[in-house]
Amino acid sequence: MSATRRREGLLGWLFVAPATLHLLVFALFPIGYAIYLSLFKWQLFKGTQQFAGLSNFAIAFREEAFWNALWNSARYALVGVPLGMVVALAVALLVNQRLPGMSVFRTLFYTPAISSGVAVAMVWIYVYLPETGLINSAIGLVNAVFGTRFPTSTDFLARSDLAMWMLVFMSVWTGLGPRMVLFLAGLVGIPQSIYEAAELDGAGRWRVLRSVTLPLLAPTTLFVLVTSSIGALQVFTPVYMMTRGGPEDTTDVIGYHIYNEAWVNFNMGLAAAKSLALFVIIAAVAAFQFRLMRSRLEGYSAT
Amino acid sequence: MSMGRLLLLAWLLAAFGCSSGPAPERVLRLANWGGAGSDNAFDRLVQRIYRQFEREHPGVRIRVENIPDGYVPKMLLSFVARAAPDLVTLDASSAAVFLNNNLLSDLTPFIQRSRDFSLDDFYPNVVNIARRDGQLYAIPNDFTPMVVYYNKRLFDRVGVPYPKPGWTFDEFRRTAKALTIGGGSGKRPSQYGFSFANAMSNWIMWLWNNGGEVLSPDGRRASGYFDSPQNVQTVSFLRDLIQVDGSAPVLSQVAAMGVDPFANGDAAMTVSGHWSMIGYASAPLGPDGKPRITLADLGVASMPRKVGAPQTVMYESGFGISRDSPNKQLAWEFIKYFTSYRVQALYNSSGIAISARKDVSRERARDPLEAQFLPLVPGARAPQGSRTEGYEFVEKAGAAAMDSVLNNGADVASALRRAARRIDLEFAKK
Repeated sequence: MSATRRREGLLGWLFVAPATLHLLVFALFPIGYAIYLSLFKWQLFKGTQQFAGLSNFAIAFREEAFWNALWNSARYALVGVPLGMVVALAVALLVNQRLPGMSVFRTLFYTPAISSGVAVAMVWIYVYLPETGLINSAIGLVNAVFGTRFPTSTDFLARSDLAMWMLVFMSVWTGLGPRMVLFLAGLVGIPQSIYEAAELDGAGRWRVLRSVTLPLLAPTTLFVLVTSSIGALQVFTPVYMMTRGGPEDTTDVIGYHIYNEAWVNFNMGLAAAKSLALFVIIAAVAAFQFRLMRSRLEGYSAT
Repeated sequence: MSMGRLLLLAWLLAAFGCSSGPAPERVLRLANWGGAGSDNAFDRLVQRIYRQFEREHPGVRIRVENIPDGYVPKMLLSFVARAAPDLVTLDASSAAVFLNNNLLSDLTPFIQRSRDFSLDDFYPNVVNIARRDGQLYAIPNDFTPMVVYYNKRLFDRVGVPYPKPGWTFDEFRRTAKALTIGGGSGKRPSQYGFSFANAMSNWIMWLWNNGGEVLSPDGRRASGYFDSPQNVQTVSFLRDLIQVDGSAPVLSQVAAMGVDPFANGDAAMTVSGHWSMIGYASAPLGPDGKPRITLADLGVASMPRKVGAPQTVMYESGFGISRDSPNKQLAWEFIKYFTSYRVQALYNSSGIAISARKDVSRERARDPLEAQFLPLVPGARAPQGSRTEGYEFVEKAGAAAMDSVLNNGADVASALRRAARRIDLEFAKK
């Protein structure tokens, strides 16, 4: 009996070992090393590390560019996440209908998620180009058909008042697939009997959405909210590809800012300190979101 | 015979078999910040020079590694990864990090062993850019002082005298004003006296010529230097040229024009380096079918000054050999080849710059336009970026400050103070 148990215990460890090892080597060790690095001044090509105490943090918090990057990330997340979630939920509701060929639509909406981030960014550069870009071409077409004179020379990614919102708009599209699938799974999980009961009580479609679908979708919504927020605060690829943080640092988000500090300015310690600040911010945001949703989640349990 | 010996024999045969093929190719890796190359005359010329070296060194192939974007950080990473190219092209403006951190080979022993190479052939102040503590890390290839170009045709038309050596800020301002035609009451002039481009590398000399500096003498502090009263005065002077006198187009207007106003014959003066001559030699055609500017129209003058003798900066490029290169001797042969009389004469016939070799540049100075550059060489200062690591940030902050003054009407003193503080914070990071 105890031998079987011990063998089972061993087997259990064997099963969790790969994931645990992966977590240790590729997550916990780098985090620990980043904490260590943040206490040093270290320029990679110099080889020498100089203990700096907490001065890297002091520099980061005094630096205008760091606060600007945090602010840009906040703008990106605060607008992009809610917008992306609303659109994804709407699409999920649409493709949740029993119609022939619906799986084709579901697949189509998911394709951006399986495309390379770099390739998607390249495509969106073309979307936003002045004169020849997709948007400006469409405006030109409207002008030609209706005789209007809307400008077709807007350089969306070069204007400091527009560039950030162009990246946000794009993120709604690129993030659609995974969010939609999650919402879809949540929708499928709502028992049909509740809808029937609501119908018997004479609830209209809007009322059903508000009083049945949305509340019962809360766990999914929380999950999508947390993962989307984390993703938005870590965004890098489209910024690197499309705007390089410009124009005038208006799209210099924190992920790109830290990359520059580490791999362009070679201030490794400072970059580590800034990445720890980001770590704390993300953890705080996630914790806050969990608290906010706790009341909504009553009655659900992890099992 | 044991199995082990059999295997050894088989291995030896295989190894021997391999080496009996054609002579192995030796690859000499050369990094620079150029693009992948187009089919213009200059790129074709450089390719010809590389191919000639390969012909003279059978079995050697030059592999050019073009890094047009982020040259310095990518090059530094290649050193960190121990994958640096054999030959590193150094831009003096960003050379400090390579020169100060023992990343390159000292070339002194190579020079001492070479009877066919002498440093006396080169301008000493250009060579000294790459000197540190008695070691020399690069041989200069070409360079240019920053100068005032003026369009003699436009001067003649208005009857304004050409700039004289040692001319002053006030004379410059009057000249620019006299050469601005039309405009006023909201109308755009048909001709500007001056064309101003906001890159700090393009206007730092104005600060020096009013007795200002960007950094402290040890290169570690900007506050008290970049925001000095002299610099506030100089930047205000440049702003007034554009905004009060209207003698130069505002920056957004230059961008909207899409062309260099000076090369287009729309502005009578500009500040630039020798490299601009390539563009001036092939300027766009005007409505009369003639080029808008030709080399015959060009004059070259020193920067105007307010205090002291006129000062300018020189921008330079040279070749260094990476510390861990497995091909140091071959790389040195390449440097000797590229900086030799015959190659420099050919290379600089493109008009790109001035040869760091005195014999070649003197020979080219038989051309009267070229001759106007040479008096500016001995006094030209090395760029600060050849001494101060991370100077790219200073230039970025400086350009941002100028931008806020010219585009957003920021107060000059506070814009410069803010930039100086940002620069100091950046230095504190190191």
